Amino acid sequence: MRLMRTSEVTKRPVVTFSGEDIAQIKDVVYSAGGGAVGGFTLAGRGMFSGPLKQGLAWSSVAALGADAVMVRDETVLEPTQSILDASASSGGSGGDVLGSQVLTDSGVALGTVVDVIIQVDQPAGGQCDVVGYEIEASEALGSKGTRVLMPLPDTLAASGEHLMVPAAAKDFVAQDLAGFGAAVLAFRAQLEGPG
Amino acid sequence: MWWVWVIVALVVIALVVAAVLLVQSRRRRGGVIVDPTRPAGRPRRGGGV
Repeated sequence: MRLMRTSEVTKRPVVTFSGEDIAQIKDVVYSAGGGAVGGFTLAGRGMFSGPLKQGLAWSSVAALGADAVMVRDETVLEPTQSILDASASSGGSGGDVLGSQVLTDSGVALGTVVDVIIQVDQPAGGQCDVVGYEIEASEALGSKGTRVLMPLPDTLAASGEHLMVPAAAKDFVAQDLAGFGAAVLAFRAQLEGPG
Repeated sequence: MWWVWVIVALVVIALVVAAVLLVQSRRRRGGVIVDPTRPAGRPRRGGGV
């Protein structure tokens, strides 16, 4: 289990076990209900190639390595729309969270999302969950302009414009990934309460 | 003055190539999409997450 920024994943090449470089990661798609990453949209590898009509489901990822995303072969790719549908919710308003404002449930703006933190289990049969945001802090956090890591609850409230977090989240912000896993666990334990 | 037209043509070509590269880099730029909008009435596919 490891933590990483989604910015480390985007643009990473998708490579088959036979060594063929078939695409590169474009967007990370996740569901607000549970925060699970459903998959990735893809772009072509050439300088002039744009987004592909095929995407990559997380369940088809064989390994998420430091330099490449490994898949069995090209047949595991599926239509991008099915990747998006798998992470859609009936009330979802959708959108790119980068640049969105983080608001507490008491209405305080904590900052703007500049990156998203994911927790990766073993890809084969494991999970990949969104566990936090990296935000450019507002004055409410006492360190305006600095980048901090904010843990998220299991179930998120999110749209393309505003991302809601419990007010208690600001007590668990971390400065780097080293201590962030513990902050996420402590934050979620507090939300669940002593019972 | 034929060389003026050559320079103009080269500048136009350079601008077109730069514009194409700019558009492509924007189209390829990555993001993090939450709860993608599902068209009304469309059945949910896949296992859901």
